[in-house]
Amino acid sequence: MPIIELNNLTKKYPLPGNKSESFLAVAGISLRIEAGEIYGILGPNGAGKTTTLEMLEGLNDIDGGTATIDGIDVQTNPYKIKELIGVQLQANEYFDNLSLVELLSLFGALYGRSIDPDELLGKVNLREKAKAKPGNLSGGQKQRFSIACALVNSPKVLFLDEPTTGLDPQAKRNLWDLVLQLNRSGMTIVLTTHNMEEAESLCHRIAIMDHGKIVAEGTPQNLIMQHAPEPPQAPLHGNIEDVFLALTGHELRE
Amino acid sequence: MLTKLQLHLTRVFLLIFLRDRQSIFFSLFFPVIFMTVFGFINNGEQDAVKIGIVNKSNSSAATNFIELLHGNPLFAVTEGTEAVLRSALITGDQTLVLVLPVSFDESSEGTELRLLVDAAQVQQLGLIIPVLEQTLISIEREFRNIAPMFSLAIEDVQARSQRYIDFLLPGLMAFTLMQLSIAGSGFNIVEYRRKGILKRLFVTPIKPKDFITAIVLARMLIILIQLTVLIAFAVFLLDVTIVGSFASFYLLVMLGTFIFLCLGFCLGSIAKTQQAVMAVGNIVIFPQIFLSGIFYPIESMPALMQPIAKILPLSFVSTGMREIANNGASLLEITPSLIGIAVWFVIAFVLATRLFVWKEVAH
Repeated sequence: MPIIELNNLTKKYPLPGNKSESFLAVAGISLRIEAGEIYGILGPNGAGKTTTLEMLEGLNDIDGGTATIDGIDVQTNPYKIKELIGVQLQANEYFDNLSLVELLSLFGALYGRSIDPDELLGKVNLREKAKAKPGNLSGGQKQRFSIACALVNSPKVLFLDEPTTGLDPQAKRNLWDLVLQLNRSGMTIVLTTHNMEEAESLCHRIAIMDHGKIVAEGTPQNLIMQHAPEPPQAPLHGNIEDVFLALTGHELRE
Repeated sequence: MLTKLQLHLTRVFLLIFLRDRQSIFFSLFFPVIFMTVFGFINNGEQDAVKIGIVNKSNSSAATNFIELLHGNPLFAVTEGTEAVLRSALITGDQTLVLVLPVSFDESSEGTELRLLVDAAQVQQLGLIIPVLEQTLISIEREFRNIAPMFSLAIEDVQARSQRYIDFLLPGLMAFTLMQLSIAGSGFNIVEYRRKGILKRLFVTPIKPKDFITAIVLARMLIILIQLTVLIAFAVFLLDVTIVGSFASFYLLVMLGTFIFLCLGFCLGSIAKTQQAVMAVGNIVIFPQIFLSGIFYPIESMPALMQPIAKILPLSFVSTGMREIANNGASLLEITPSLIGIAVWFVIAFVLATRLFVWKEVAH
């Protein structure tokens, strides 16, 4: 049963150079994400990935179409949705001068829950950093802490926006393990990424977005079968990066 | 009544603000420096006027006259030859040089005393000459044996002597609370937005009301503590007196803080970058520094400016605080200030709630 359903979801933005005209940042996308899935959204910069997530998270108004999470309409019940979801944003800065434990209990309080910060930090392998300030964490630790913050309300759906961007390979693998572990406990995870290897090895299904539209959707294997160039062009075997480039072209974005 | 969440959030913001040692230090540092400088500069007494005396006469009248000048705290007397004193006057080591001619004695009649001055230097000339003349007259009376027809008996009815620092303190407190409040809400909001913290808070079920309540409460507490430190410094170390009731004084502090916190929220909602909030903040802050009667009374400003100056929020706050601190006014007696404060209270609150749109501010 799908836990997230998008029907013809649309977002309009004014054109950067010409404010009187607008363009579609998200041009009517429809998606079904099953409960318990790890679902990846791929796309070049400016494809509309973050905007799509922000509409689901309530951060951005929906200009057309509908979105439901767990059967609840996103636009009409923003506060019910907030209780259901956990969010890790691209910017992951927090208040200075508060320790990880203090920040986690603050987030707990925002959901009206008293939580055990130590247990949450244990989940993301940061227990020994309990007294540290976020400013003193490494990139990987910061991302894991962001995920800990997103878990305070035991969400049904976890949104991760480019969780591994800028991480070294060790930190990246470590984060994948964390995502898999959370997913095994039954959590639905929706993530955006530029990392093809991540999409291929972590996600059950992938949507590739470009120019606000979904240009392909399916399991990594199916996408490779359908879209990767034939063997002569790709000497060994195709991967998701080949699929991605075949679908979105080689032109540089932003 | 405050909810559990609001209390928790207030505690968190208190922690955040209190742990920001650097800004707490600087928020206290400048007012303290200010008060100290004004406390010392304006200690009531003026510097003595340096006067050089060239005594060409050997009469007892001349010695008598010089002694009288020595006894006058207004003058610091040096005796010497005309050539030496003249060059001292040119180099600025003397302010005036008075030449007593040979004919200066008991039998003088219409004797002229030459007074050498550097007119560009001596602004108080108009003040000094009457004193010199007065001294001469009293000597003359002594020798002619005439009793003065009139004398002034000066009676000081103002029980407290008021120094400039006494006048300055309430205004400076009002100014400090404005600065701290506007920075404490406006600048913080912009900073939290820049870091994406507001966005992160927005995706949790927090209500903007809870967020604002917590910031206002925490900031107000901090500002009350900061002002208390400054007032204690002024009262104990600079010997400033606060005549009226501390309760009324603090009531005004709290009302003022609320107004400027609200105005800060407005700024933080309008301005999207730190530079913009500084610029807009200065538009609000600067005119009030000069027009709100902080450093000098509004009444001493050009008549044209006064009506504008009087309706600024900081004017109402600082005038009210000064009436209480300097004249011991009761709340009833400062009704005009309180009405002005009430009007600004409503304006600031309505503006803040209109402009602070949670979703837009978070983005």
